[in-house]
Parts: sequence; C-alpha cells; structure tokens
Amino acid sequence: MKKINKVLSLGLALSLTAAALSACGSNSGNKEAESTAGGSAEGKTKLRIYAQYSDEDTKGYYDYAVAELAKEMPNVELELEIQAQDDGQKLKTYAATGNLPDIFNTGLDLINVFRESNNILQLDEYVDKFGFKDKMLPSALNTLYTEDEHVYAFPYAGNEVILLYYNKELFEQNGVKVPTTLEEMHAAIDAFKAKGITPLSIFAKEKWPDVAFYDIFATRYNPAGISALDKGQAKPSDPGYKQAAQDIVDLVKAGLLPKGATNLNYDQAAALFHEGKAAMFVNGQWEIEASTKALGDKVGYMYYPAPDAASYEANKMAFSGGGNPGGYAVSANTKHKELAAEVASFMALKYAEFKVTKKGSPIVSTKVEKAVEKAYDPLMERLAQDLPNITSTTAFAWGLSNTKFKAAIEDASQALLSGSYTADQFIADLENGMK
Amino acid sequence: MNKFLGNKTAILLFTLPTILLFSVIVMWPTLQVFYRSLYDWNGLTEGTFIGLDNYKRLFEDRLFYTSLKNGIIFAAVIAVLQIGIGTVLALTISNKMVRGRKFLRISYFIPVVLSVTVVCQLWLAMYNGEYGLINKVFEALGISYRQDWLSNGDTAIYAVAVVNAWQNMGYHFALLLAAANSIPEQYLEAAKIDGAEKWKAHWKVTIPLMSETYKFCLVLAITGGLNAFANMQIMTGGGPGTDTYTLTYMMYRSAFRVGEYGYGTTAAAFLIIECLIVTFAINRLVARERIVY
Amino acid sequence: MLSKLRKSNPLFQIFLWGYAIVSVYPLIWMVFYSLKDNNEIFVTNPFGFPTQLRFENYVSAISEFNVPQYFLNSVLVTVVTIVGTISLAVMFAYSAARLRWKGKTFAQMYVVIGMFVPVQVVMIPLAILVRDFNLTNTYASLIIPYIAFNLSFSTMVFFGFFRTIPNELEESACLDGANIYQTFFKIMLPLVKPSIATMVIFVFLAAWNEYPIALMLISDEALKTLPLGLQFFQGQFTTDWGAMGAAMTIASLPTVLIYILFSEQVEKAMTVGSAVKG
Repeated sequence: MKKINKVLSLGLALSLTAAALSACGSNSGNKEAESTAGGSAEGKTKLRIYAQYSDEDTKGYYDYAVAELAKEMPNVELELEIQAQDDGQKLKTYAATGNLPDIFNTGLDLINVFRESNNILQLDEYVDKFGFKDKMLPSALNTLYTEDEHVYAFPYAGNEVILLYYNKELFEQNGVKVPTTLEEMHAAIDAFKAKGITPLSIFAKEKWPDVAFYDIFATRYNPAGISALDKGQAKPSDPGYKQAAQDIVDLVKAGLLPKGATNLNYDQAAALFHEGKAAMFVNGQWEIEASTKALGDKVGYMYYPAPDAASYEANKMAFSGGGNPGGYAVSANTKHKELAAEVASFMALKYAEFKVTKKGSPIVSTKVEKAVEKAYDPLMERLAQDLPNITSTTAFAWGLSNTKFKAAIEDASQALLSGSYTADQFIADLENGMK
Repeated sequence: MNKFLGNKTAILLFTLPTILLFSVIVMWPTLQVFYRSLYDWNGLTEGTFIGLDNYKRLFEDRLFYTSLKNGIIFAAVIAVLQIGIGTVLALTISNKMVRGRKFLRISYFIPVVLSVTVVCQLWLAMYNGEYGLINKVFEALGISYRQDWLSNGDTAIYAVAVVNAWQNMGYHFALLLAAANSIPEQYLEAAKIDGAEKWKAHWKVTIPLMSETYKFCLVLAITGGLNAFANMQIMTGGGPGTDTYTLTYMMYRSAFRVGEYGYGTTAAAFLIIECLIVTFAINRLVARERIVY
Repeated sequence: MLSKLRKSNPLFQIFLWGYAIVSVYPLIWMVFYSLKDNNEIFVTNPFGFPTQLRFENYVSAISEFNVPQYFLNSVLVTVVTIVGTISLAVMFAYSAARLRWKGKTFAQMYVVIGMFVPVQVVMIPLAILVRDFNLTNTYASLIIPYIAFNLSFSTMVFFGFFRTIPNELEESACLDGANIYQTFFKIMLPLVKPSIATMVIFVFLAAWNEYPIALMLISDEALKTLPLGLQFFQGQFTTDWGAMGAAMTIASLPTVLIYILFSEQVEKAMTVGSAVKG
C-alpha cells in the first residue's frame, strides 16, 4: 500500500514537472519560430516549403530543384515539410491557424478554397516581373490561369493524359485483336479469361484512376467527358453518360478486372501488368517509364475503344486527362512575398527541367532549354507524335473544380468497378452528391 | 459520513482539474462543431448562417443513411465479437489452473499493441482476392468458393468490422480479466466446477458480478463502432463506392474532400448525439443496481 | 489437478491455442514484411519468410528520419500523458463515484462525451486552440490534447470500479479518524489497482500509436513522434512498403517488448487488489 502511495505521489510530482517542462518547451519552441520568421541567420533567409517527398520519384524532383536552388539562390534555405496524403487536411489546418508554409504545392481544389479565404497569394504581378508567361509552353497556358484569369501557382506538370496500356506480346501470343470497339473488347476479355490472363489491371483503390476509367468511356460519347459535367455543361442523366456507365458495368460483369480490383493499390495493380499477368493497364503517361523498364518494347498504348467503328475513328484523338492550374503556390501571409514567389517559380521551372532532361518526358508546362540526358522511351516518342494531334482533353479527378461533383464521381466511379452496381445507381448517386 | 464524503475542498481538488482540462480541450471545440453545423462554411472563411438547413439536407442525403446503417452494423459486429470472445477468454484465463495461461494472456493482447496501420495492412493481404491467405485456405481445404469480401459492396462493411473486432478484442479481454480478477474468491463457484456446469455458473454468478465492466465494454464497443474511421481510411477509403462509409467518414469527406466543413460538422453533431443516446440507454439498461462485493 | 486438465474439452483447448496463434502471427508477419520488397509483399510471398532478407529497408527507414530523436519524443509524450491521464482520471472518478455532491452523475456523463467526438472534426478548432495558448510546436501541444481525449474512457473505467467497492470501507476509515485524502490514497487506490494497471496500458498504446493529431499539430522535426515516421514512405502514387514495414516495426516492436516484460507486473497488480479484499 505504501508503494502505491509513493507511485501516485511520484506521478503527481511528475505531472507537475512535466507541465513545467512543457512550458519551458513552449518557450524555446517559440524562440525558434521567431528566429525562423526573422530569418537572417548568417544572411540566409529560411523559407518553409510543403512538397511531395515520399517516394523515389518525388524525391528525385525535389532534390534536383533544391540542388539547383543552392547554386542560383544561395541566400535561401528551404525547410521542407513533407506533403501528407490527407486530402489537404493539413494545409487547411495550417491555413485556419495562419500557419501556412511560405511555399506549398497545391492542386486546383485548394487554390479555390484558399482564394476565397485569402490565404493564397495572387501571383499575377510576379508572373509579369519574372517573365514566367514567356517561359510557358503555349499549349500549356491552361495550367497557369484559373477561371478568374489570375495566377495562383507556378505550374510544372503540363497537360498529362490517360493512356490505355497493353502488352503487345500477350495480344499476339493469344491471337487477340487490339480492341477498337466494345464488341472487340468483350472478345478480348473472353479470350484472355480463357487463358487465365487478367484482361485489365487498374489500381482502383485510389479513386482518380476509377474516374479516369469512366472518363475514357464517357469521352467516346462526349469528348468533353467529365469536364462537361464538372462545368455544368452536361448532366449525369444525359444518355451518353449513362451509357458509358452501362458499358463499364457490362465489361466488369464480363470479367474485365482482377478479383478485388477496388482494393488494389498501384504497386499491386502495376505488378500484374509488369509481370505479364494482365493484358491491359490504365494510368497516366508517366507510367511509360516504369512499364518500359518492366516490359521493354512489349508495352504499347491503344486508342480508347468506342461503341462502334465510326465513333472510334471520330474520337480517336479525344484523350482523357489534361492539365489544370496547380503547382507551387505562395502563402498570402508570408513575410517574404517576392522572395517566396521567386523561389516557387524557380522550383516549378526546375521540376519541368528535371522531367524533360532526366525523366524522359516532354509533358511539362514550361519550356526547357537544357539538353535531354535520358532519351525518350519508344512509347514516349510515339506519344510525342500524337500530342500535337490531340483534339481534346478533359481533366484528371484532381483537376475538377466542382468539389461536390468531384467527391461524387470519385465514389461512384469506384462503385462501377465493384461489379455490384448499376448505371441507374451511378446516375442517382451522382445527382444526390451534386445537390 | 455526509460531512466526510461531502468535503468541499476535496471534491473541488479531485474534480476541477479534469473538468477544466476537458472543457477547454475537448468540449470547446465540440461546441463549435454544433455551432458550425448551422453554417454554410468551408472551414476558413466567415461562413453564412443557414439555421437548420444542413440538418434538413442531411436527412435527405442518401449517403447519410448509408453511413448510419454501416455504423450500426459495425457497432453490432464488434460488440458481439469483442465482448463475446473477450468474455470466454477472460473467464478461462482467470482460472489459475489453465495450462500456459501466461503465454495465452500475453498473446491475446498482442493485436492491440500493434498499430492500426500494421493490422490493416495484414488483413488487406489476407482478404486479397488473388494472393490472399483466406482464399489459399479455401483452396487447401478443397473448397471451390473464393471470397472477395472487401470489394463486394454487400460484404465489405462486415469484412472491415471483423478486422476492428479482431484487433481490439484484447481491450475487452483485458478489462474483463481485470474485472474477473477483482471478484473476491468466495464468489467464484464457477472456478470449482468443470464442463458445461462451469459456464452455467459463470453465466449466473460471475458475469452478473462483472456487469459494471460490461457497461463500459458495451459503451466502448458501440460508440467506437459508430465512430469507426481509421479502418476504413486505410483499408477501403470508404469504398467500394460509398459502401463502407460511416458518419465519421462522411464528415471527413464533406469537410475535407468537398470543402463543406459546415455540412461535415452536421454529420458529426448527429453522431455525437447518437452516441450520447446509446450511452444513456446502456446506463439505464445495464447494471442499474450498484453491485458491491 | 492433472485429472482436471485431462477432462477439459480438447476442442476448447484448440480454440484457446488457435486464437493465441492467430493473435501472435501478425507480429511475426510484420517483421517478415519489413524485410521484403514490394513485389514479395504483394505478389510472390505475402505471408511467408522473406526469400532474401532486405535489411536495407531498415537502413532507409533509419536514414530517412532520426529514429532515436523520434523515439525519445514518443517516450516523453507517452509517459507524461499516462501520468497525467491516470492521476486526473482516478481522482475525478473517485469524486464522481463516491463523494457526495450535486450534479456528479451529470459531470461523469459530461466527461464521457469525449469518447464520441471524432478527432478529425475538432482538428481545426483544436489547432486554433493550441495556437492561441502559444503551444504550437511544443510537446505540450500533443500532451495536453492526449490527456484530455484519454480522460473520457479512463474516468469511465475507474468510475465503474469505484462503484463496486462497499461503503463500509469508508465508514470504518472515517471512524478510525482518517481524513478523505488518507482514505483515498491508502484505502481506495489499492482497491482499484487492477484497473489502474489496465488503464496504464490502454493510455500508453493510445498515446504511443497516435497519428492524426501528431500529423496536424507537429511540424518541427525535433518534436516528431515515431508514428510520423510513416509519412516518409507513403507517396502519392507508390509507397515503399518494405521501408514502411521497417518503420512500423521500429515503432511497435518496443511496445510489444515492453508489454511482454511488464505484463508480469501488470498481472500481479491485477490480482493484488482481490487478495486485499478477499
């Protein structure tokens, strides 16, 4: 019993000390924060930056840009905070507490929210000052200006597109014709299933590929696809949109997808395709690098199959995907507006440079003058030829501006792939979600 | 006695720190949830007062009913499994005659010790339709059925609930074991009997003596189930489609994915009231009489 | 005694031991997982022993973030949370369960509400609160919310246990001339020791594994706790699952070891109470 007494009084004492300790902690913490804000330790200005840095790919970009920054702007020191995969929760919390990092990587949805709440700096003046517009590729200007004709972020990603990849060897070996119509698609499904090959792999646990997959079919009926729904230029109940949902339901029923597709992450779904266990795969054009590494020249992409031969030909060059305003933005409350804007634009330019010179991809927002170090993969060569002929693009899920529609289509498109969902439910859920 | 137990200084000293801390850190933000549920608000701007419009909209929203139903299923599954298995294991282990009881006791608690991320990753691998362990077991047993529970809209919520039930069973096991160990020896007739009679004695004597513990086990399981979030976030993302949404998940979707923070807090406000009612009912129905050893 | 054991139902024995194996396996699975690459984890060998021990996962986990620093932070935050929560909750529960004052049932119910509040919905108000108290990027910005949110369940459990104690104990203490504090420390506390031991473990796990609040409120490297190590591997498209497994193992293996080491003491603590009473 005495022991307990001791333990408890020790406990109470400890908690008091802890309270005192944490109070001390708070002081020192604040001091640090102040020195950061004041920012002239050894003549260097510290800027907080919120960026992707969680896998080989994004680390490559960031590290390259920071190394370049150290050469060009040695007076700046970046303090990185890793972007969390949390639907913008952390940035919104930061904004609510007035603690936004000086520079942050953002998409269109957060730009819209922060624009309304005056948390994001309008960059028009700096675009002029830095001549950023002249550095843009004319074809990618849509990634610079938002609907209100202002600039809120320096873009780098460019107009990316969704490709329907396929394994040429699997198609040849099994005598399957690369489908151009839904009928041929069904024939391909039957043929592959008979051989125990998964017809198509998709990482449907994430919702944006599901939206893209729906968009592939919707664009066969209306080239504006989900963009038209997003902007209110079309309704979910319009015949083409309902038919697109029905097309997917039919394909899924026929056995298009692997078991449990809606729980596959990228690593699992890509493994199926890369190892020749799945004949087709859906992803953005950035997949070219990984697929070429795994499959060499066996990998190709097909134009999306359409309901019939005529619409296939007519819409062949109507791609799903596309760019949207987004990239490196600057907090409205930063103490170093111009410097932060300069660094943000520099980072964006260097990201594009890295993509072109080291990642073998011409799809960026800004012109890159530096020599290419990693030659384009053959498939990228082909895409580069197709790019100028693309008649229309739509948007990735993250580029949708109507957030209600975005959340609704993300959920509903995934449900389409689950096999226990109808086109009618799809329309009803979209309409319910957009109310 | 009244003076002894009514010592005002002692009451203040014992009660006030908790009330103060709790009010500032938990209740103040919670009150804002209720307040903001009357607003059209994106979380950052001023917002517009719209009265009860959010509640009207909530009751017309199909997603709300899906979420509500899933919360109830989730709560029911985990309450039955956790408390049921927890009871059997705790009563067994409380008997000092059981062989290997130390090892068993530690083992049953291990899943609780692991983080929810680890456990969800494990079960994702188990449920996987292509490479999952469950289908391999079916194969080994010569059963031709192949499950795909997590991707099927009708079964997904149960599949996720089982994971939570399995992971947190240890909590209930530990609480019930502590309760069983607190019962003075003279009450433990069941310990002296064997076989089916033993469980009858437990049912009649031991379990009623532990009713105070069952009360908070029930509250823990049911409100935990209605509040479920982390399992969905990691395992299904609310999917397929919206089939594993709960009210917390719906709140998260509205507040962060859609940017309608005001509407999200409405779902949360409903959830808090729902849990309060459940807790109140449990308090009324279970262990009304104070049991004293 | 032996005859007794032989009589016990073999099916029931299989259940007991089978359940134990199913409970321990994830631990082993996690360690295997942390030594594999993505392909092995998902496709070729999700459940078995790694074909090749990839210790480089640990190397990348350790090189990615400052493990000892994170570990110390976790220890500090957790210990203070446990002490704070248990002390406050035990006192409050005693007062609400046994002392005589108006509104105590209401007060008990009031504190329980914390169990129903999804932490995601109060995150922004909480962050604002932390800022207004000038606690941004301090240990206290984690410890204080952790204590506050853990109070609900702890008080409820202690309340339940205090209620089962007979009134005569206090009466005789009163007659012996003890004051209320002596009664609380010397008579009441030992009686609820089993539940204290249990709650220490619960609060420990809640604080040690907590992720959402830490993710939102801590951005200073020097203050990050172990669960935040995970964020270094979860990318937008791909995740380095092996390294994430290593990070998870680094974070949870100590808790398992501590639990196993201390479970004997916990068990003792759990039984002493009844011995005193019996």
